[in-house]
Amino acid sequence: MRPISGFSDCAPRSRMHDAFAPLLVASPGSGRPGSPNLSSRFSAASLVLQRTHPAARVALVGAYALCVEWARVSIQAQPGLAIAALVMGGIALGAVAFGTPAERLGLGRSRIGLRIVGGLALGAVLLLPAAARSGAVPLLPVGLAFAAIAVSIGEELAFRGALYAALDELGGAPLAIAGSTVVWTAAHVLSHPPAFLGAVAAAGLLLALWRWACRDLVAPIIGHVIADLAL
Amino acid sequence: MKRVALLAAAVTLYVVAAWMVAPGFYDGFGPPAPYNWTCPPAQAGANTKPGSGHTDFKVVGGVSDAGSAYDRDGQIVIGFLPGALDGAGKTTIGVDVTPLATCPQPPGIQFVTNVYQITGAASIVKAANLVLRYSNLEPAPADVYFASDPAGPWKGLGIAQQAQPFTVVTSTKSFGYFAAGYLSASPPPGAVKVGGGSQTLPIIVAVLIVLVVLSGIPLAILRRRQSHGQVEEEGDV
Repeated sequence: MRPISGFSDCAPRSRMHDAFAPLLVASPGSGRPGSPNLSSRFSAASLVLQRTHPAARVALVGAYALCVEWARVSIQAQPGLAIAALVMGGIALGAVAFGTPAERLGLGRSRIGLRIVGGLALGAVLLLPAAARSGAVPLLPVGLAFAAIAVSIGEELAFRGALYAALDELGGAPLAIAGSTVVWTAAHVLSHPPAFLGAVAAAGLLLALWRWACRDLVAPIIGHVIADLAL
Repeated sequence: MKRVALLAAAVTLYVVAAWMVAPGFYDGFGPPAPYNWTCPPAQAGANTKPGSGHTDFKVVGGVSDAGSAYDRDGQIVIGFLPGALDGAGKTTIGVDVTPLATCPQPPGIQFVTNVYQITGAASIVKAANLVLRYSNLEPAPADVYFASDPAGPWKGLGIAQQAQPFTVVTSTKSFGYFAAGYLSASPPPGAVKVGGGSQTLPIIVAVLIVLVVLSGIPLAILRRRQSHGQVEEEGDV
């Protein structure tokens, strides 16, 4: 008998469908032999990544995500490069999940309704402290709003997706939750004043716990997008 | 049950942690540091009063050096090209940037930054570049306003294309008082209207919560029925 309570098992592995598999799983090389195209090269790189030792994969994925985040923050400080840096940073972060099976990332179509509702609930929780204080005015310029969506999805795929999966394989859920939260917080060191990092870490912990409790990444993506658009 | 309890604890921890800082910990979209207010808005949380700044520009052969003058917090920067200041008969020219201790709100204009006074020991002869940073807690400004006296009249200087998020750029040929803002009769420009000093954000959150509850009930019922169906099927076998 399956549990019926809340979101405690909203995406069991046995029923996971690879909703995003066509996007994430390495495609067969479509280039001619001897002249591999970008996709096949990328597929080969991701295949190598998947076959490395879990500890090495954790180090590679973590270091890559940190480098991308810090580079993004440095580049977006340059005049006129903010939106481009955000969008490219989001894409670069999302790319680290390329080749990882969708079920290991927590992406799937099973109980998609619950996942979406969960995402709305996470969004509401993330916005609650701002909303409770009347007059909190989250105002994101329109151009940045689109960039915010790219970065939100990219960050979730990288931190609660690929990095969480690698840490989970290395040391189980406690390491995955703690490790992804620590790296996520470190990734925001350059973009946030020190006073904000506690709240950033708490948000990362909440999203990682959701990822663990529901084996789901759809809700963290939705919640993160909502929060970034509003905050 | 353990998972739900842990999630509830994480929610509580997050709300407490987020409550301790000003709203708006974004993914690097905001200013690099919280804005230091002369008159902080209610949602600003802990506030540090803004500081002033002083810069001396050398004058060689009657031509002033290029350079910038700015306040301690980097919330306003005025940049000069070579010879932008009238250096006749001087060896150095001092420029002071000082936040006004009061917060004038002229009729029809809503300021979203502090008002800064910029004074110089010489007049400006070439247009100077002026950059003002603003807070993510206020709507984006549509203009930079200038006055030779804080009582007014205030006139718009126009703004150049936004160079970086949460900054506005303009140019000036005079020292005086500067602040960024927008016409209060018009809506704040260039922003996703999620808040704006109204109660919109709480309403959005309330709608999200209602959506979750309304969607969650039928989904839970459906899930319970499916679960009962499976139990019966197992019982039949």
